[in-house]
Amino acid sequence: MSNYRILGVYNNEDKLLSSIHKIQESGITIHDVITPYPIHEVIEALKLKTRLPVVAFISAIFALFGTGGFLYWTSVVNYPLVFGGKPQNTLSFIIVIFVMLINVTAVVTILSFFIRDRKGPGAVPYLDYKGISDDRYVIVVDGKINTNEQVVSDLLKREGAVEVAQIGVPETKANH
Amino acid sequence: MDRKFVFRPVLRYTTYGLMAMGIIAVATGFLANGERALANLLLNNFYFLCLAIGASFFLALQYITQAGWSAAFKRIPESISAYIPWAALIMILIMIGMKSLYPWIQPDEHSFDEHSMHLIEHKSPFLNVPFFLIRLVIYFTVWVFMTRLLRKYSLKEDIEGGMIYFEKSGFYSKVYIFTLALTFSLASFDWIMSIDPTWFSTIFALKNFITSFYHGSALIVLIVVIMHHYGYFQFITDAHWQDFSKYVFILSIMWAYFWFSQYLLIWYANIPEETVYYVHRLTGPWKTVFYLNLILNWTVPFVVLLSNYFARKKMVLGIVIVFVLIGLWIDIYEQIMPGTIGDVKIGFTEIGTYLGFAGLFIYIFLRTLSSAALIPANHPLLQESLHHTGH
Repeated sequence: MSNYRILGVYNNEDKLLSSIHKIQESGITIHDVITPYPIHEVIEALKLKTRLPVVAFISAIFALFGTGGFLYWTSVVNYPLVFGGKPQNTLSFIIVIFVMLINVTAVVTILSFFIRDRKGPGAVPYLDYKGISDDRYVIVVDGKINTNEQVVSDLLKREGAVEVAQIGVPETKANH
Repeated sequence: MDRKFVFRPVLRYTTYGLMAMGIIAVATGFLANGERALANLLLNNFYFLCLAIGASFFLALQYITQAGWSAAFKRIPESISAYIPWAALIMILIMIGMKSLYPWIQPDEHSFDEHSMHLIEHKSPFLNVPFFLIRLVIYFTVWVFMTRLLRKYSLKEDIEGGMIYFEKSGFYSKVYIFTLALTFSLASFDWIMSIDPTWFSTIFALKNFITSFYHGSALIVLIVVIMHHYGYFQFITDAHWQDFSKYVFILSIMWAYFWFSQYLLIWYANIPEETVYYVHRLTGPWKTVFYLNLILNWTVPFVVLLSNYFARKKMVLGIVIVFVLIGLWIDIYEQIMPGTIGDVKIGFTEIGTYLGFAGLFIYIFLRTLSSAALIPANHPLLQESLHHTGH
């Protein structure tokens, strides 16, 4: 059997949440939920885990010591200029460190997200369905695990899905 | 659910013990070095006044924003702000010896040069003893009146119910934060900044105001943590802890922002009149105090509460807040002591006086807390608070 996925499209956050709980209660595994913005309850219900904050934290520490060290080296060790009697090693470094920290953390986090998720120019979209990135809430159920496709579709519809669709997945794709 | 907090004798005698220790510390302090003991009285009274003002501001803010999640805890800020009348009494007693605290009263020709004498003379329309004392009375009248009013409405609401007292509290909260912004800013200028009469910073009042809000809120969270440990507030969920730690976390960043803004503006402008303040605080043992202040008030809460996992652990939250409350003491110590006693001196006078004030503060807090129902039963937003589940 080729791999396919069942999509239930909702246009209401509350319906989506109650539907997620109902589907999980009936023993069906949810593959993914696509929402226009992060919803805490969805993350909790699906027991999603991410190590992205760890990446952000490590890159922030790297930026802190990198920028701090650079400023210290340039204005204290290598070329110590005295202007107006101000101390060379001052807390005013914080501004530059702060800005660099945001910059480095944002860039590193986004890059590692794209690399880990294999996104970027030329990547094959993992769900090719029109309107999936609109302001709608989509529950994705994996057809391979939940073989009884009719039951899943009925359940999605009963819980208030405005659309239920079935789409195939490219076999070559190493998806999550 | 509707049970009262019981002020058990064990606790009562502990607070008496702390108060007795404080009296001994103050008495021996005055015998050894009057100026140091007086500076300590000012430091500790301002410390607990800051906490009380911050807590009352927290309460007013909850009314103005009509925040639901915190409704069940509002007896705690109400009881903390009961310290304000006592702070007024002690502040008036301190002002008996104000000559040794504030050099602008009788500027000494030896410690100030001609230019500084001129500056002090220039400030005399504002900084003179009668006006100073009149302002002191005005500040405390406003604070005591407004906090008592909010407390009175809250207690009446318990009996009569309805929306009327909620709406009234909302209106008077707006009046309160408006007057508080004016009075507390001027109060911090008067009591703390005028210790160094030739120095000034326009962001000083903001910094002290945010310090007060930050530590007042942190104290409320600490009390909730302790009371939850002893079996009160059992309805608390992860969502409540999350909101409490959010408060501490955000305000620690706000505090660091104002703390740093004051430094940066003075560093950048590089005017000798202003920089002398930081030069004094960045030489010798004061340097340790200076950085300890930043570490305790910002680094510890920021790094620990950054993690969502730790933010929901009440023990972690409690320990972080203990550091933050020590940080407040260090913060005020760093503002008062260089101008009064000059050197870093921490001994029995400092610790004993602090414990004595803590005893008085805890005694008044617990007595007020036990005088009314712990959960405000008729608060319109109470159910939202009890069933708070996050967003």
